[in-house]
Formats: sequence, structure tokens, C-alpha cells
Amino acid sequence: MESAEAMIAHIQGLSSTPEDLAHLHNLLKQSEDSLESQAPNLGPLLTQLDPSKHSLGYLYILEACASATWGEQENELVSTIAKFIDSCVTEQIRLAPEKFVSVCRKLKDETMQLQMPIRGVAPLRTAVRKLQPTSEHLTTLHPDFLVLCLLAKCYKAGLSILEDDIVEVEQPRDLFLYCYYGGMICIGLKRFRKALELLYYVITSPMSSMNAIAVESYKKYILVSLIHNGQFSNFPKYTSSVISRNQKNFCQYYNELATSYASGKISELQACLETYREKFETDNNVGLVKQVVSSLYKRNIQRLTQMYLTLSLQDIANTVQLNTTKEAEMHVLQMIQDGEIFATINQKDGMVSFHEDPEQYKSCEMIEHIDSSIQRIMALSRKVTAMDEQISSDPIYLAKIGRERQRFDLEDFDTVPQKFHM
Amino acid sequence: MDFSPLNEALVSKSYLKIADILDELMLQAASEGVAYQDDWPYSIHLLGHIIADDINSARFLWKSMPGVVKESVAEVAAIWRIGQQLWLRDYAAVHEAVRGFDWSAEVRDLVLAFSGKLYTKRIFQLLLSAYSTISIGDTARFLGMTEEDAANYAQLQGWIMDPASGMLTVTKQPVVKEQKLDSSKLQRLTEYVFHLEH
Repeated sequence: MESAEAMIAHIQGLSSTPEDLAHLHNLLKQSEDSLESQAPNLGPLLTQLDPSKHSLGYLYILEACASATWGEQENELVSTIAKFIDSCVTEQIRLAPEKFVSVCRKLKDETMQLQMPIRGVAPLRTAVRKLQPTSEHLTTLHPDFLVLCLLAKCYKAGLSILEDDIVEVEQPRDLFLYCYYGGMICIGLKRFRKALELLYYVITSPMSSMNAIAVESYKKYILVSLIHNGQFSNFPKYTSSVISRNQKNFCQYYNELATSYASGKISELQACLETYREKFETDNNVGLVKQVVSSLYKRNIQRLTQMYLTLSLQDIANTVQLNTTKEAEMHVLQMIQDGEIFATINQKDGMVSFHEDPEQYKSCEMIEHIDSSIQRIMALSRKVTAMDEQISSDPIYLAKIGRERQRFDLEDFDTVPQKFHM
Repeated sequence: MDFSPLNEALVSKSYLKIADILDELMLQAASEGVAYQDDWPYSIHLLGHIIADDINSARFLWKSMPGVVKESVAEVAAIWRIGQQLWLRDYAAVHEAVRGFDWSAEVRDLVLAFSGKLYTKRIFQLLLSAYSTISIGDTARFLGMTEEDAANYAQLQGWIMDPASGMLTVTKQPVVKEQKLDSSKLQRLTEYVFHLEH
């Protein structure tokens, strides 16, 4: 056991070279208990350290401090942690990632407690960047950062980490939460394609038992899929059977909504919304359901573009159940604005003519776009090949496959057809 | 608080950058524990999002504002009315919301930059792509002008007016897109195809 003063001296003396730091790290680990017992008195000691030089030592003491109750001084604690995250040295904090995460979590909890989530947004964004070895790594702080963005309504700030392609994941729970919160941020910003992608990851991830994140993601996926694609199709075969077995229990009314959407009738969809309104309300999804309803008008208009070359506004209004030709005109106009259809309105004759997509795929911009897509796909394919090689040479995987093959062979003699097992 | 990046953007009229600058300043101020809400330039911040055509962010900013600001600062509420009409896509009401308030000096430039140049141009482009004929009355409402001004504006862009029916015939200008490729791109595409075929 060392006195706190001696500890400070060590930290000040051993914070420069990697060897010194390793030594210091050992000392710190040994005195963890004593630090904890002195937690309430450690606050003043922090002022003797420079977070941008003595990051590792500072982190240990800060973590011990933060675990003590701060009562009225929460404000000060939040500022201290925020300042530390901003100025700490990346290499040093990565020596003790679990301590760093604990301090960041404390910051998140405190800002939420103070009902000022926005105070944690910038620090946690920095923390994610400092903690992750590359932008392909998902850290356990990703979901925490996104939660604060949602609570503080700083959706745009959340996008900065959602644009990275994640390849390395340690804890499944981190990925689930990251994708769910990320999906919510994208929904808020109406980036439905990205939202679908993120929610899809949650639903199709391997899972051995049902979890709340997957259930909520499933619900939102159906809604966003209707809004964005106009339909909801089932998930691929590799989706965990847990999902297909349980979705009826949890999400039946969402399935019904999708069915009534497919009928193309606004009245039916409205009726479905009314029947289950309470349930949608408890799920906090009413806003999205309403967007589903208004997207049906668009979907129906889009369908018309595939059948007709020209159509009167009156006919459009009648077919898609809008009250006036003016309403029909505004719907068509908005869809043209959003690039969802290609059409021209002729007010004089009250007609709309529908066109093909005028893109001829020969502009520089388009070539640039295609080129960058090819580049991305090539990089992705390289990555998949590398992963495949890595897995196929993994001893645990090989051992398991060996065992399973035997079992399958036995099952081949089973006289009961497989479908009866299901 | 140091608002110099904002002031620079305002002076150089780089209005599209305002939203990003203020977003970042707000996050910084908040993380330092500064009580920024009291004198935050909410009007300019909100307008910044509107100018950048990011109504979603404008909406979230409005939602996150302290209730006191929403109720007591009339100008902020007036700007949000513009945002609301944009959200609802009530094209004509956007112009009404712009005209319906006596803007303070520092906000006026921004509002005018939005409504006078950006928005009118955006909507004119929309009309250009969406209509083959459109009534003078509707054109005027969309552009927030008098019928006479709207007719003149449209004719300057080559549209043809038929006074008898009160209709404007839209003349579409062919959009010129850069189509020349430099040989390195062609080379790369050739390599891809070669790669795929072998």
C-alpha cells in the first residue's frame, strides 16, 4: 500500500516512455484497492496531474474518484471527465480500456441524471475515436454515444460514426444497440435506406434467445420498409429461427399492417391503424405508422406510372382516393421533387405524363459514382475472402464442423422427413 | 463564447456553413458546461439549417430549445414558422411566413438570402422540371411574387405566356452535363471488366 502522494509522484515520474508506462500500469493495478478506499479524498490530487501528459495515472485516479458519490458536485465531475477525454493521450488510455469505458459511462450517466445529455455528446464522440484502433472497430461506447445524441436531439452528430463500416465487433450486445439506436437516428433524419440496413443487421444476427432490441428493431423494420420500399418481404434463411418463431407473438399487428398496406387501400390501412392505435402508441411508433399511411398514396401513384403514359389529375385523384385534383397535383409534384417519379404536369389540360428515368449513365458524375461503388465492392470482397480464410482455418470452427458432419450423416438415415421437425 | 467562426461565415456570406459551425460550437459549449442557452443565436442557427435545406435538423433544434426561448423570442418562433411550412411543403405559405415578420437587422440578410435567392431558385427549378404548362396564378403563388412579376420572371427564362388562357408554357433548357472522360477512368473501367472476365 502506497500513500496517495507517493502514487502521484510515481505517475509524474513514469508517464513518458512505453517501459515506464508499463511499470506504472503495474503499480496502479496493485494499488487499485487502496485508491478505491481513498476515493473521497482523491479529487484534489487530480489538480497535481496533467491529463495530457499523465493520462494513464489520471485515468486510474479519476475512475476511483468517479465511483464515489458526488452529490451536489456532479457538475464539476462532468466537466473534469469531459476535459480529461478531450486532452488524454490515446496510447495511454488504451492501456486500460475498461477504466476508460467506466469513466465515459459515468459521464453519460451523470449528464442524463442532470438532464443535460448534450453535455456528453462531444466528449463521447471523442472518446469513441480515441478508444477504437481503427474506424472499423465497434467499441462498447458507440451505443452510449448514440443514446446521448438521441436524447439531446443532436441526430446529425450521431451520423459521424454511423458512416463508418463496422467490421470488428467484440460484444453482440454492443452491435445490437449500436444498430438499433443508429437506426433510430437515421429514421429521424429520414435516411431510410441506411436505417433499414442497420435494423436488418439486428434482426439477421445470430441469436440464441429473443431479446427486446431485436423485437423493437423488427417492428421498426417493417414500418420503414413499407415507407421506403412499399413492401415488406421476409428475412433470408440465415435469420435466426428465434425470430421467425417468435415474431407472431410480438409483432402480429405489424404484420397485419403490412398486409393491409399490400391491399393498396387507404381505408383498410387507416382502419388497421385505428384498431391497433394503442399498441402503436405504447411502442412509440405512431409517427412512423402515419408516415406509412401517407406513403401509400405515393405507392399507388407510382404504380400508375407503370401502367399509363398519361393520365388526368382527376383519374389520379379517383384511383388513389384523394379528394381533389389539386391534392393529386401536389402529391405528384412532391414526388417529382423527391425524384420518386419522372413526370410532367400539364395544368392546361389537367393531365400528367409519365416518363422513363432520364438518366443515361454517361455523365462524368455517374461514371464517378459507378467507379466508387466498384471500388467499395472490391474492398468488401477482399475483406470477405480474408474473413473466410481466417474462419476456415480456425481450430474451434474445424472441430465443430467435424462433429456436426458426423451427426448429419446419422440423420440421413432418419426416416422422418425433415419438415416434420419444424 | 467565441463566435468568430460564425461571424466570419456571416461576413463572407458563406451561409451554407452556418448550421455546421453552430452545431459544433453548441456541442463544445455544452461539454464545457457553459450555460449557452441564455444567449444562444437560435434564430441564426435555425435559419442555418433551413438554408442548408436540412429541415430535419431544424426540427430537432426547435424541439430541443428551452420552452422559454420558444415562447418569449418572437423571431425564433417566426423562423420556425418558415420551417414548418417547408416541412409541410406548403410552398406558398413559406413566402407568407417570410413576409409575415419584421426581421431584425442581423437576421434579415439571412432570411433574404434564403427566400430571395435560394428558395425561389429551388422552386423555379422544381416548376421547370415538373410542369409543361402552369397557370400564372399558381406560378405567382409558388414563387411568392405578384402575377405580373411572376409572368415577367418566367418569360425572362424563356417561358411563353398565353394571356388568353392565363397559362405559361414551360420551356425546358437542355441540361448540359459534363460527359468527357479522361482516359485514366476509361483505363480503370477496362481493367475492372478484364478482371471480372478472367
